[in-house]
Amino acid sequence: MVEESRPSWENPMQFVLACVSYAVGLGNVWRFPYLCQMHGGGGFLIPYLIMLVVEGLPLFYLELAIGQRMRQGSIGAWSAINPYMGGVGIASVVVSIFLAVYYNVINAWAFWYLFHSFQGTLPWAECPLSSNFTTYVPECEKSSSTDYFWYRETLNISSSIEDHGGIQMGQALCLVLSWMVVYLCVLRGTESTGKVVYFTATFPYLVMIIYLIRGVTLHGALNGLKYMFTPKLSDLADPKAWIDAATQILFSLGLGCGSLIAFASYNHHNNNFEKQAIVVSLINSATSIFASLVTFSIYGFKATFNYESCLDRTQLLLINTFDLAEDSIKNNNLDDWISHLNASFPDKFATISSQIEGCDLESELDTAVEGTGLAFIVYSEAIKNMGLSQLWSVLYFSMLLMLGIGSMLGNVAAIITPLRDSAFLTRHFRKETLIGMMCLFCCLVGLSFTTRSGNYWFTIFNDYAATFSLLFIVLIEIITVCYVYGLKKFEKDIEVMIGHRPHWYWKIIWSVISPVLIIGLFIFYIADYIMGGTPTYQAWDSNLGKTVTKEHPPFAQAVIGLLLVTSMMCVPLVALITFIKKKKEQARESKISTTAS
Amino acid sequence: MLSRVLLALSLVPALALALCQPDGQDAYKVRLSIKTALGANAYEWNESEQFLFRATLAFAMRKYTGQETFNVSSVIVCDETPRVSFWFVVKNPNDTATLIPKNAVEEAIRLSRNRINSAFLLSDKTLQFLGIPPTLAPPSQPSLPVWLIVFGVVMGIVTTGILALIISGFIQRKKKEKTIEDEDEEEKQERIMENGISCETLEGKDGVNNGAYSHDEDRLTQL
Repeated sequence: MVEESRPSWENPMQFVLACVSYAVGLGNVWRFPYLCQMHGGGGFLIPYLIMLVVEGLPLFYLELAIGQRMRQGSIGAWSAINPYMGGVGIASVVVSIFLAVYYNVINAWAFWYLFHSFQGTLPWAECPLSSNFTTYVPECEKSSSTDYFWYRETLNISSSIEDHGGIQMGQALCLVLSWMVVYLCVLRGTESTGKVVYFTATFPYLVMIIYLIRGVTLHGALNGLKYMFTPKLSDLADPKAWIDAATQILFSLGLGCGSLIAFASYNHHNNNFEKQAIVVSLINSATSIFASLVTFSIYGFKATFNYESCLDRTQLLLINTFDLAEDSIKNNNLDDWISHLNASFPDKFATISSQIEGCDLESELDTAVEGTGLAFIVYSEAIKNMGLSQLWSVLYFSMLLMLGIGSMLGNVAAIITPLRDSAFLTRHFRKETLIGMMCLFCCLVGLSFTTRSGNYWFTIFNDYAATFSLLFIVLIEIITVCYVYGLKKFEKDIEVMIGHRPHWYWKIIWSVISPVLIIGLFIFYIADYIMGGTPTYQAWDSNLGKTVTKEHPPFAQAVIGLLLVTSMMCVPLVALITFIKKKKEQARESKISTTAS
Repeated sequence: MLSRVLLALSLVPALALALCQPDGQDAYKVRLSIKTALGANAYEWNESEQFLFRATLAFAMRKYTGQETFNVSSVIVCDETPRVSFWFVVKNPNDTATLIPKNAVEEAIRLSRNRINSAFLLSDKTLQFLGIPPTLAPPSQPSLPVWLIVFGVVMGIVTTGILALIISGFIQRKKKEKTIEDEDEEEKQERIMENGISCETLEGKDGVNNGAYSHDEDRLTQL
């Protein structure tokens, strides 16, 4: 009877890089700067760092400890901790499947933009011409060339979630490619993943450093940085800031999905994961702050550029209407001129007064964007105005790709590891076949996100698939480890692994503070959902050239409910099934013992 | 006699002015943005430049109609402003009291737009004929979109990688199965088992330091 030993990382560095690669993802780049901007700039760092120490670090430590101790994927690990709690593992896998299905679509978009960067002029730099070559396409003129490229040429988005449209070939091809890349990286298990993460973890930092150097030298970048770093401490009084900090830490570290348990399960029994947990969490937060530096310099550049373009346009309008000499109106005397012209020629002025846009730098900076809007619209708009835009575009989208693929590796590991632990599946299917089937399945389901209404479904998944459910899973995890498994037993396990017991600080957090915090977040989410009314979404209106708010139709709301319920139901369901099984066994045993005697 | 000639002479510019009216039916407004286009190299707009403009426009009319009767005097300019914008009309060379209709002028300008722009070192955006939209250059469309080419390259690399890994894994597995098959029964019994894990798979791995038992790593030797 030959047993293959469990595959393992070639050295601890690979494990650390895998965790970094997984945790440092798109959320660091497109969510954290947004939160910073919404909650008072530099002041947001205070709740963020507090939540890191009080919630993020301890939970990260916990998950690594479980994975390394049980040496199994999430399903096996939780079943080993307590047979009734096996449902937590299954819930993690379900959430990871949802994540894997929709997250890779982002990589498909990154590939699309990357491939389109290899052109003389970037396709989102100019509006395409209408058929008679005299004007630009009206949808593009009303919005902007970057908006048009994203909504029309990339997504070909429909006007509402009910209007399905067909599968977009370009998107579908890029999605297939993304899944093939992921398959290539996880094909050989830790052997291949361990080597890939050297690259996916370090390349984004290289690009961010280059971007930082370029970003701070851009004209107007200082406006953005000043805006970010002037702390508006009054915003800290708003509980939303603290709640957003807590949820951001939780989701940014990727807790609850089972990926960390999967990665840690390949560790040596005595790997010092305590140090590694601290290192990875700190790197993750530092990266968020670093990324927001880059993002805010880009914001500043873009806002200044738009502001100065606005001033130029107003100038041109005035000198054209009033036939003044070309260099008579400058940026600094624009307001004087406006009042002078209004007073001297009120009738003529009235004809153009509707076209005079108030140009305001503050309002340009205030436009806070997050998510795909930031990554694909705002950044590409800034890039098209930089010199050598093709180079910057290639660098930026490669970085997005590395971040996305790094996170995908973690997601896929969270699904594959429990599957490979199952003796039944391993007996009947080879490793490559199993992984291949999983990738194929996710790819096919993911094709639904490449339809014309795909982006609306993507937003639903992004907002609901892995938010509330993860909070629930993490809460059950903590309670299970502390109270069902027993904190003392857990302490002893850690001592066996790394040679010393965890400091009392960790124990207090695990048993008291974190559960209370997460229950608080839970209550807030429920209250927010109940008070929010019908969930809405932003639909793109091609006639107006901007997004409009629409309510979700009943079937979309049903899908939202399904997403939340399928993962959370696993926990009580499995507990119930185990309970019934145990009762049956007990009944059988007592029957045997009565017949035996 | 002299007074009649003088009267006639004074009427001509008056007539000319009467023909050229801002917002006239056959008049076009022109706007030049010289400083925007040329910056420090901008030239001054004066009578001579105006002369060049009228000559260029006459050239455009000649080219379009094929009649070589158009002259600088056929083009009349009025309402000049400091913006450097003005209105112009084109007189019919055969009948100086009438004007060339708007469409014809538009077509003529369209035809020779490039030549007119180059004469003034300007472009479609900086030498504007209000009412005549510039014919924007159609973007060059390569036969195969560039992105597909890059996509094809990357897809090829990834597919090759996947196939290579699968095939090498397959070959490795075949080799392992062969070595296991080739063993004798005796050898099978002799294979040392340690906790259910064959020593063969542990071969090559150094002993593991159990941190629970030692704080000083130097004291333990490796197995």
